[in-house]
Amino acid sequence: MRARWWIAALAAVLLGMLLALPLLLISPGVRLSGTLALWAVPLLLGVAIGVAAALVGAVRTADRRRTAAAEARGRAEERERHRRFLARLDHELKNPVTAIRAAVAAADVDSPHLRVADAQAVRLAALLGDVRKLAELETRAIELEPVDLEAVCREAVADVEAALTASGSARRIDAVFPRVPWPLPGVRGDMDLLYLAVHNLLGNAVKYSPAGGPIEVRGSDEGGWVVIEVADTGMGIPEAEQALVLDDLARGAEARGIPGSGIGLALVRVIAERHGGSVQLRSRHREGTVVRLRVPATRA
Amino acid sequence: MSDARPRLLLVDDEAAIRDSLAPVLERAGFAVTTASDGADALSAIRAHPPAIVVSDVLMPNLDGRELVRSMRRMDDWTPVLLLTQVGESFERSAALEEGADDYLGKPFDPAELVARVRAILRRSVPGARPLTAAERLQSGPLLVDRIARRWWLDGEELQLTPRAALLLDYLMTHPDELHSRDKLLGSLWGYDQAVSSRAVDHRVAEIRRVLRDDAAEPRFVETVQSLGYRFRGAVTPAGPR
Repeated sequence: MRARWWIAALAAVLLGMLLALPLLLISPGVRLSGTLALWAVPLLLGVAIGVAAALVGAVRTADRRRTAAAEARGRAEERERHRRFLARLDHELKNPVTAIRAAVAAADVDSPHLRVADAQAVRLAALLGDVRKLAELETRAIELEPVDLEAVCREAVADVEAALTASGSARRIDAVFPRVPWPLPGVRGDMDLLYLAVHNLLGNAVKYSPAGGPIEVRGSDEGGWVVIEVADTGMGIPEAEQALVLDDLARGAEARGIPGSGIGLALVRVIAERHGGSVQLRSRHREGTVVRLRVPATRA
Repeated sequence: MSDARPRLLLVDDEAAIRDSLAPVLERAGFAVTTASDGADALSAIRAHPPAIVVSDVLMPNLDGRELVRSMRRMDDWTPVLLLTQVGESFERSAALEEGADDYLGKPFDPAELVARVRAILRRSVPGARPLTAAERLQSGPLLVDRIARRWWLDGEELQLTPRAALLLDYLMTHPDELHSRDKLLGSLWGYDQAVSSRAVDHRVAEIRRVLRDDAAEPRFVETVQSLGYRFRGAVTPAGPR
């Protein structure tokens, strides 16, 4: 940027010298004489400064654009590298895990040690499945069909409630959706993936909040977006970790004691991004967390 | 050896998998032979024709997909179970050309592999071209062109979303078999969690709507209470239109 500016200045000086030299040689005695009206002085100064400023502006804009394009390219490359890494991880791990599970099944003896090995292999297999899902989600084409996010949320709520009741820790989840003056607008997307995203958010809310603590799912629309919020009064996430927990396999320091792979929020983020949306997180340590999923609304 | 047990050829380039999986399959009642890649498998098939082949996909020399294609080119309709997800290949619309009979993604539960192998053997007729390799299928008024991926009911063309079409194709090529939601999710969606098992219900609902099938008295897709789904219509390969 700075270098280019100097080159432009130098070029202007050289151009002046280049034009002056032949004039000096051919007709050194010729003089221009004349007067300038007073009113023309500010006009000419204004035009000159204006042109110079416009030039500087143009150079800077082009520069910024180039930087932005380079950054976007860098991000795309980073994503692609990341996807390749996940795919390789999946590929390299699935054979050993398959072999472990088969070896345990082939063993003639039943021992508590083997049961541990088998349970851990099953856990690894599940983690691997999550990693693969993430890698696939980042690249494969998603199906786009009209989706009613309210219905998706209500289903996810019903399923989570049923699972909690079945496990003996029944809990109520409030679902709040607008009726007046209009209901939640539709979105276009992959219903199964959106369900997975909402289900994951609910699962987190349940997991990281005390038994019986209230959980709310809220829907709203604003400026062309459908917004789904899942709120809990759980342990919250310390501010320093809030930006990190959306990363793959990332887990908050206080979540270590709670089973989980750390893939949930990353999955939600990727699903949101593949729908042209985003995920935001607001959390207060020891007060609770609100996760906000935003997806573009279908034009009515 | 005179052995009444069905012969199973296990193909995988990883010795650890062959060595650990073979005893599991032996114990389940199969006479297991192994091969370390597709080329090796072809000579094993020539030497001792197996009742079924279980093969990995990514292998040196000849991979699993090429192995199935070579077998089918030689008019060998021995059932093959590929150790990968069906979704991946269906999305590349290669599943039919490939002509594998079933798919199971690694890593899998060895008991699930045994169950799948038994199911394939139950429905396969030795030497006959299986439904999974048919280009056109018919079940009563329902007709499918599996290459063009077009569906007709009583001559009227049907509109199905890609995933519903994938599910119906799978159910129809594996008729009379009980498919649990989890298994369908794992094979067709690639999700192993029960988390989205409603996804299957949604697509079945779509299929029934499009096929005008009554859930209470289904002609095609039957709900097996709390277990899963089953295609109940008789399915036969159909001739060209």
